[in-house]
Amino acid sequence: MTTGASIVARGITKVYGNDSSAYHALGPIDLDIKPGEFVSLIGPSGCGKSTTLLLASGLEPVTQGSIEVDGKPLTKPITEVGIVFQDHLLLDFRTAMKNVMLQQEIRGLDKSVIQARAESLFERLNLKGAENRYPWQLSGGMRQRVSIARALVHDPSMLLMDEPFGALDAISRTQIRHDLEMLWLDTRKTVLFITHSIDEAVGLSDRVLVMSKGPGTIVEEIKIDLPRPRPAHLGEYPEFTKYANRIYSIFEKLGVYKFK
Amino acid sequence: MTAPMKTFRQRTAWIAWIAYPTLAVALCLGLWEALVRINDVPLYILPKPSDFLARLVVDRTTVLAQALATSVSIALGFGMAVLVAVPLALAIISVGTLERGLFPVIVFLNIMPKTVIGPILIVWFGVSPAVAVFIVFLMCFFPILVDSMSGFRATDPRLRYITRSMGASAFQTFRYVRLPAAMGYIFAGMKIGIVKAVEGVIIAEFIGSSAGLGFMIMRASSFMDMELMFSGLIATALVALVFNGAMLAAEKFLMPWNRPRHA
Ligand SMILES: Nc1ncnc2c1ncn2[C@@H]1O[C@H](COP(=O)(O)OP(=O)(O)O)[C@@H](O)[C@H]1O
Ligand SMILES: [Mg+2]
Repeated sequence: MTTGASIVARGITKVYGNDSSAYHALGPIDLDIKPGEFVSLIGPSGCGKSTTLLLASGLEPVTQGSIEVDGKPLTKPITEVGIVFQDHLLLDFRTAMKNVMLQQEIRGLDKSVIQARAESLFERLNLKGAENRYPWQLSGGMRQRVSIARALVHDPSMLLMDEPFGALDAISRTQIRHDLEMLWLDTRKTVLFITHSIDEAVGLSDRVLVMSKGPGTIVEEIKIDLPRPRPAHLGEYPEFTKYANRIYSIFEKLGVYKFK
Repeated sequence: MTAPMKTFRQRTAWIAWIAYPTLAVALCLGLWEALVRINDVPLYILPKPSDFLARLVVDRTTVLAQALATSVSIALGFGMAVLVAVPLALAIISVGTLERGLFPVIVFLNIMPKTVIGPILIVWFGVSPAVAVFIVFLMCFFPILVDSMSGFRATDPRLRYITRSMGASAFQTFRYVRLPAAMGYIFAGMKIGIVKAVEGVIIAEFIGSSAGLGFMIMRASSFMDMELMFSGLIATALVALVFNGAMLAAEKFLMPWNRPRHA
């Protein structure tokens, strides 16, 4: 099994558009993500979280600065990666299993190996019985689980997730958070997890990076020292409340929240 | 996973599917027959169903031959339209300037009535089935082109991020993602196209052909042969039905993922 990759970014910024319509969307920021670490990026809408993910995967070029993945400079999209967006982005003309097997078809990997891995992921993600169903026949939570299976089936060294549970109801969200944590504990992929949910950030991460309003910079780094696996009801830990309060107070200080 | 067991109702659904329309058609024809008989309408004004259905049986070889000629024109014109329109749509979408430049032209040609060039085609090709084939081509071409363009535009750009992260080549992205995603749109265009094709082929055969159902109906008209004209009408409707049915069957076969319409 492939172990996690390291991601190191130095002074990266992103400006979208050209001279006349230039828009400074991000940075400069630094990232130091260790192999196998679970890092969350939390910040207000529009601060450049999704942009950070696109830069870290090489899908968008940086405007300034440099990124190294496993010590190698990033110049083109990396393929040792699995990506999950807020919308499942499954192909509606493929069944759940066929959607996951798209990885095998496009990458030209060994079919029986990937099939076996897909089946075990379906098992672990509570997707048994959904193999031959089309996305429109699945609930939102199941679709997102299929997306996660698709992002992991080729055994990448990192997992990039952009508000993956943002569209789910609170109950599905809590369960899928736990299922993801259990998978991560077994595989130790490097995870960059983008969210605007404080519960999710603290509930899942080794480290939370808090971003300012756009163009976002990283204003604080919070190490989350809670035992794993973490419970459904995070309020069980007084430390959880402490971490959550910390993030709230940063957002208040930054003017993200304006409560009277 | 096995398919769920079908209920008795589902298994017998096709009986109702055939029985109800058949019953409705039979009722209409019966009413028609009764009204014409009661009011003693003469044959040269409106024939009874029993008249033209009998004629359809008697002249079945002629009608069948003409129906076949019409069908060949439809198939050729329609097939050519699909073969040209779908790749062209992809080319236009792939090249931004081409899209901006050509779109007004396409919109103009799409709304222009295609049958007006019939007389010009007669000058070019003479009175021949080529005129019908060409008109069918023109009538189906634009709806298929326009809908295919929408289809190739429909892929979520973030899906490209996912395929690029898989290392997919442009061809793989087309083959595995863009083409199947566009298929529903292409079929929507083809379904409009086939209806227009039947419409167009008959008009073309009225004005510029020496074969086909349109030609047969026109000739019957010059002899005031009401029975044969109505036989032709029924035969045309049947040809339209067959092509529509073939289209639905092809859709079901090529797009097995399509959700059932009433689910
Ligand atoms: N392709 C793009 N072109 C121009 N502006 C963009 C593009 N993508 C994002 N932006 C802008 O950059 C800013 C940051 O976007 P994003 O990274 O999506 O923020 P977040 O994910 O934190 O909500 C936003 O103001 C957004 O409108
Ligand atoms: Mg975002």
